Amino acid sequence: MSYSMEDSQNSAPGSLQATKLAGARKGPDGQNAVKRLQTELMQLMTSPAPGVSAFPSADGNLLSWRATIEGPDDTPYSGLTFKLSFEFPSNYPYAPPTVLFITPIYHPNVDFSGRICLDILKDKWTAAYNIQTVLLSLQSLLGEPNNASPLNGEAAELWDKDPSQFKAKVMDRHKDVDED
Amino acid sequence: MSAAVASQWAQRRRRVFQSVFHTDDSQPTPHSTPCIRFPDQGQPFGGPAAPIVDRHGHGTATPSTIFSQDAAAAASTIDARSQLAQPLFPSLATAADDQVVFDRAWHVVTARIALPASATADDSFGTLPPDSQLPHQAYTSDVDFYDALALVVQAPALLPRATHTEDVVAWHAQQARSHFAQHVVPLLSGCLDDQGDEPGAENRGRYRGTRRRGDYYERHMVIVMSSIRTLEAALRLYFYGLGILVRGFYKLAVANGPSKPLGVDPELIATRFRRDIHALVGNSASPELMRSVSIVLVRLTGTILGIPSGYDSNGIGSVRSSQRPAPPTDDDLNAMAARQRLHELVEQLHNVGLAGERFQILFAEIMDSMMSDFVTGAYAGVWGASDTQSFSAATAMNTISRTAGASFTSPCILSLGDWVENHFSRLSLEVLSRVSPGAASPVKLSDVKTYQSLALGRLAALRISELFDIVLAWPSSRGALDDLRATITTTARRLQLTASFSHALQTRLLHPGCSTLEILRTYITIIRTLHALDHSKVLLGHVESSLQLYLCQREDAVRILVTGLLASAEELRVARKYNETAKKPIERRSQAGHTGTENRRGPEPGPFMTPAVGRGYRETPGTRKRQDSTPEAEPGDAEKAARDLSSTKLIELALILNDPLQSRRASPEDEDLDWNDMTWVPDPVDAGANYKRPKSEDVIGTLISALGSEDVFIKEFASVLADRLLTDPANFDQELRVLDLLKRRFGEAAMQNCDVMIKDVRDSRKVDTLIRRERKDRHEGKALATPGGQALSAQGAKEMEYHARILSRLFWPNLDREHFLLPTPIVEEQKQYESGYQGLKSGRKLTWLNQLGQARVELELRDRSVTVDCTTVEATVIYAFQDPDAEDENSSVRRSVDELYAQLQMDEDMIAAALTFWVAKGILRRVQHDVYAVAETQAATANADSSSVANAGSSGAVAGQQPGTAMSTAEDKEDGGESPRKTAGGKPAGASAKEQERRAMYWQYICGMLTNASATMPLGQMAMMMKMLISDGFPWSNEELQEFLGEKIADGELEVVGGKYRLPRK
Repeated sequence: MSYSMEDSQNSAPGSLQATKLAGARKGPDGQNAVKRLQTELMQLMTSPAPGVSAFPSADGNLLSWRATIEGPDDTPYSGLTFKLSFEFPSNYPYAPPTVLFITPIYHPNVDFSGRICLDILKDKWTAAYNIQTVLLSLQSLLGEPNNASPLNGEAAELWDKDPSQFKAKVMDRHKDVDED
Repeated sequence: MSAAVASQWAQRRRRVFQSVFHTDDSQPTPHSTPCIRFPDQGQPFGGPAAPIVDRHGHGTATPSTIFSQDAAAAASTIDARSQLAQPLFPSLATAADDQVVFDRAWHVVTARIALPASATADDSFGTLPPDSQLPHQAYTSDVDFYDALALVVQAPALLPRATHTEDVVAWHAQQARSHFAQHVVPLLSGCLDDQGDEPGAENRGRYRGTRRRGDYYERHMVIVMSSIRTLEAALRLYFYGLGILVRGFYKLAVANGPSKPLGVDPELIATRFRRDIHALVGNSASPELMRSVSIVLVRLTGTILGIPSGYDSNGIGSVRSSQRPAPPTDDDLNAMAARQRLHELVEQLHNVGLAGERFQILFAEIMDSMMSDFVTGAYAGVWGASDTQSFSAATAMNTISRTAGASFTSPCILSLGDWVENHFSRLSLEVLSRVSPGAASPVKLSDVKTYQSLALGRLAALRISELFDIVLAWPSSRGALDDLRATITTTARRLQLTASFSHALQTRLLHPGCSTLEILRTYITIIRTLHALDHSKVLLGHVESSLQLYLCQREDAVRILVTGLLASAEELRVARKYNETAKKPIERRSQAGHTGTENRRGPEPGPFMTPAVGRGYRETPGTRKRQDSTPEAEPGDAEKAARDLSSTKLIELALILNDPLQSRRASPEDEDLDWNDMTWVPDPVDAGANYKRPKSEDVIGTLISALGSEDVFIKEFASVLADRLLTDPANFDQELRVLDLLKRRFGEAAMQNCDVMIKDVRDSRKVDTLIRRERKDRHEGKALATPGGQALSAQGAKEMEYHARILSRLFWPNLDREHFLLPTPIVEEQKQYESGYQGLKSGRKLTWLNQLGQARVELELRDRSVTVDCTTVEATVIYAFQDPDAEDENSSVRRSVDELYAQLQMDEDMIAAALTFWVAKGILRRVQHDVYAVAETQAATANADSSSVANAGSSGAVAGQQPGTAMSTAEDKEDGGESPRKTAGGKPAGASAKEQERRAMYWQYICGMLTNASATMPLGQMAMMMKMLISDGFPWSNEELQEFLGEKIADGELEVVGGKYRLPRK
C-alpha cells in the first residue's frame, strides 16, 4: 500500500498500478504453469493412457508440447497416428492450451490448418482438465465427431452419408509428418 | 688469517728496512706527496713538478679559492710571523725559493700527522700514545709545526711563488683512506676469519640458532666487538692527525685575529672528514660483518621485545616448547641488560661509522621480522574469549553494531597495541635517536600509529590463516573472532579472508575423506562463526558457494540434515548435558589466561579427519583422547552417549531448532521501513547486487538453501518422517514440533503431506480401537456360537493383538509393496480387519503393505523363551521355522533358503537379511551353506560357532516355538480405488524395486520424448531434457544414461542411427 503511493508520485497513477498488478499476477503464475506441467508430465509418464502420449518439445520450452494420438480402432482413423502441438499460456491451467493438429487430418471438427473445434478447449475449459484428459477427449472425438458444428462441412456430410468415401478421404489426407 | 699473517710479515720486513736505512723521518709523505723525483733545474730537492700534481687528484685549486683575500695584506702579516721561523727557513727572503719553503713546511706538517706507515697488528694502532709521547716531538716542536702549518695552509698568500701547493686536509683524508684500505680492511676480515669459523654453515640460520645457539650469538658478538675495536683504534688514529690540524687551524685563526679570517672553518673540515671516513667505513663493511651485526641485533632486540631467541616464526608449533613471546616486565633483568648492551653497541657502531644506511635498513628488517614473530608467536592459537564478562559485552556489541566495528577491542588487540607502543616504538626510538642524534624525534606519534596498524595487519593475516581452525574450535574461539572483526576493516582484507578460507575449505574439508556429517557440522560452525564475524553474511556468501557445490554431490546430506532435525528429546537432553559439562573446563581454562595450546580445541565435534595437506590439523588421536578423558570433563555415560550420538547424528541442528532465539524471524518489510533503526549501517561494499540483509544467523535456513531447493528438503523430510512414524508409533512429539517449526519456515501448504501423514497415524489409532472393539464383540458372539472353533485361530485371536495403521496413499512417500506370504493367522487377522474397516468406511479398501510392520515375537525354545521385537519380515521368516508336524523331540527344525523362498514367496535378499537377524539373536544357526536350524538350547548356539553340526541335532526337544503373541502392525494403505499403481516387471537381482521403478519411469520419459518431441535425438540432448523435465532431478550421468539406452537397444526397443537415438518403426 505504501509503496504504490510512493511510486504514484513519479508517474501516471493508473497505468502503473495496472501493469504492476498484471505483473504481480503473471510472475508467480508463469512459474506455477511450469510446475504444473512438470507434474502433469510426471503423471503422464508414470501412468500413461493407451494410445496417447505427450512430451515437451525438443527446444526445452515447457510451455510448448508435442503430443501423439493413435487413431482408435473401429474408426476411419484406425492405425493412423496424429501429431499435435500444445501451446500453454503462462496462466495455465486457468486458461486452456492452444491445440493444433500437425498431421493433416480429414475430420469434421478440424479445419485444414489443423485447428480444432472442441468445447473443452474453448469456453468449457476448467482447471481440472489436463493434457491427458484433453488427449483422451480428442481421441474420442476422432470416433465421435460433433457434426452439429463442423469446421469441415464436407467431412461432416460424408461421415453420415458415405463412410467408405470418408475413409478414403482420411487416408488420402493423412500424411506422416516427419519432423526435422 | 692469511691477511693478518701477511701484514705481520710486511711489518717485520719494514722494521728491518727502517733499521738499516733510517727512512722513517726522511720520507714524511711516502704515498701522497706531490712527487718524489729529481728536482728540476734550479730547484732544491723535494719540490713538486707542475705537470704531475694532478696525477694524485687533489685539486690545487682549493688553496687559491680559499685564500681569496688581499694578497698584499696577507704578505705583511706573514712577514712578521716568518721572523719566528727564521731558523728553519732562513732563505725566506729569496723569492724563488717559495716553493722550497712550502715543500719544507709541507714536510714538517705531514711528518707530524703522518699515519704510521707500518701500522699493522691490532695493537700497533690499538693504543695511541698521548701527545706528549709522540715520537715526532723529538725533532719538531709544536711551534715549528704550527709555523709550517701556517705556511702550508696560507701558501698562496705567504708563498705566492710556490707553484705547487696542496691541501693538507685532503692529503690526510687520502692517506687515511689508503691506510684503511691497506691495513684496516685486512684486519677486519681477520677478525671475521678468526671468529666466524664456519660462516657458510650458519648462513642459513640467520635468525635461527642452530645447536650451539648460545655460542653462536657470543661468537658473533665477539666478531662485532673486535671489529668495532679495530675500527675505533684506526679512527682514533685518523682523528688524531685531524685533531692536530684542526688545532693548528684554530691557533692560526686566533693569531690572525677576527679581522682576517682564515677562510677555513675547522669545524667544517672536521665534520667533512668525519663524514668521509664514516662513509668509508660504512661502505667497506663486509657482508659477513653485517651478518654478525644482524645476529647480535636480533638477539638483543628479541630479548628486549620479549621474543624468545630461536623462536621459529615459520613452523608454529614445532618449537612451541619454548615459551611464547610476551612483553618483558619492567623489572626483567635480562631485558634491562640487553637494552643497556644494545644502547652501547649502537653508540659504538655509530661512532665507528657502521650505523649508516645499511645499518638502518638492517635494523628496519629486524624490527619487521620481530613484529611478525611477536604476533605469530604470541597470538597464534590464542582464541580464548577473554572471560564471560567481556564475552557478553561482545555479543551485546554485536547486536548493536552489526558490522565489523573497532568499537570493541579484544584482549589480543589491546595487548598488541600496548606492546607496540611501550616496547616496539620505544626500542625504535632509542636506537634511531642514537643512530642519528641530530634528527628531532626520529619516531613520531604518527609513526607509532603506523606501527600499530602494521601490527594489526599482521594479526589479521595470522587470524585469517587460522580461520579454519577457529571455525572448528567454535564457540571457544570467540576471542579470535573479536580480533578478526576489529582488524578486517578493508575490502582487501575481506577478500584475502574469503580467498584463504575457501582454499582451506578445499584442502581440508571438501574431500572424500570427510564424511557428510562432518562437513555439515563444520558448515554449521562456519555459518555461526562467519555470522558472528560479519552480520551481513556477505563473507559467508563468498565462501560457501564451493561448500554448497560440494554438498550437492553428497547424496546423504539432506537425509542427515533431516534426521538431525528430528533428533528425539532424549537425544537432545543428552547432548545438552554433554555440552554443559564440556563447557566448564573450557571456561576454567580460558580464565587461566594465555594458555592457548589447550584452547585450540573445543569440546565440540567428533574426530575430524583431514588429509596431511599443508598445515593440517595437528591434533593426534592421542591428544584428543587425553582431552576427552580429562577429569574435569566428568567422563560418564552421558558424555559417552553424547559422543556416540554426535558421531552419527547432526544433533546440533535439533539444538538450534529448539533454540528460541533461532526461530525469531522478522519480516523483511519491517526492517526496510524501520526509520528509527539507529544501528542501521549500509551494506558492505563487497555485497552482491541482489543482496538482502539477513536478520539472524538462521543456520537452518542457510543449510536448507545450501542443499538445493526447499522441495528436495521437504521431500526428504517427508520420507524420513514416514519412516519414523511407521517405526515408532508411540510418540511423535518431536516430529510434531519440528513440523511446526518447518511450517513456520516453509508455509502450511508445503508441509501438507506431512500433516496428512501425522493425521493418518492419529486417525488409524481411533479406527484401530473401533475395529478391534467391534471385532471383539463379534468374536465373542462367534465364540459362543461355535465354541470349538478353529484351534489355531481361536488361540491366535486370544493372544494376538493386531493393530493396523491406515495411510493415505497419495501423501506417503516410498510405499512400495513387497510381496510375501504372511503366516496364516495373520492373514486371517488381516481379513477380519479389512472387513471391519469396510464396515466403518464403506467404499474404501485396504491394500496391505506387509513389509512395513513390526512384530513382537515370543519364542519358546527348549531351554528358554525369548521375546523379540522385529519387523514383519523377520517375524514371518521365524514363523516358517515353526513346524507343527515336527513332534520329534530329537531334531530341531531346519529350513533351507530355497524352501523358505518357496514357502513365503519372499525376496531372497529379504530372507537372507531376516535369517542373519535371527542368527545374530541366537535363535537360528547356520548348519550348512544355506540351511538354517533352530538353536533349541543355548549350548547349541554356542557350539554352533565351533561348527559342530552333529551336536546341533542331537539334543532332543519339542520344537516348542510359538509365533509371537503380539503380531502388531501390518501397514495398509487407503485406496481410492482408481490407482493403477505400476509394478515393475521382472526384476534382475541386485536392483531394488525402487530403482527398477525409476528406470521404468525414465524409459517412459525417453519414449515420450522420442515419440513427441523429436523422432531422433542425440544422447546429450536427451540427458539435458531429462534433467530439465524430471522435477525430482535426474541423477544419472551421460554415461549412465548411455548404458541404459544401450540395454534398451540390446532389447530391441531402441535404435541408434548416426549417433542419434530413435524408436524403431513398427
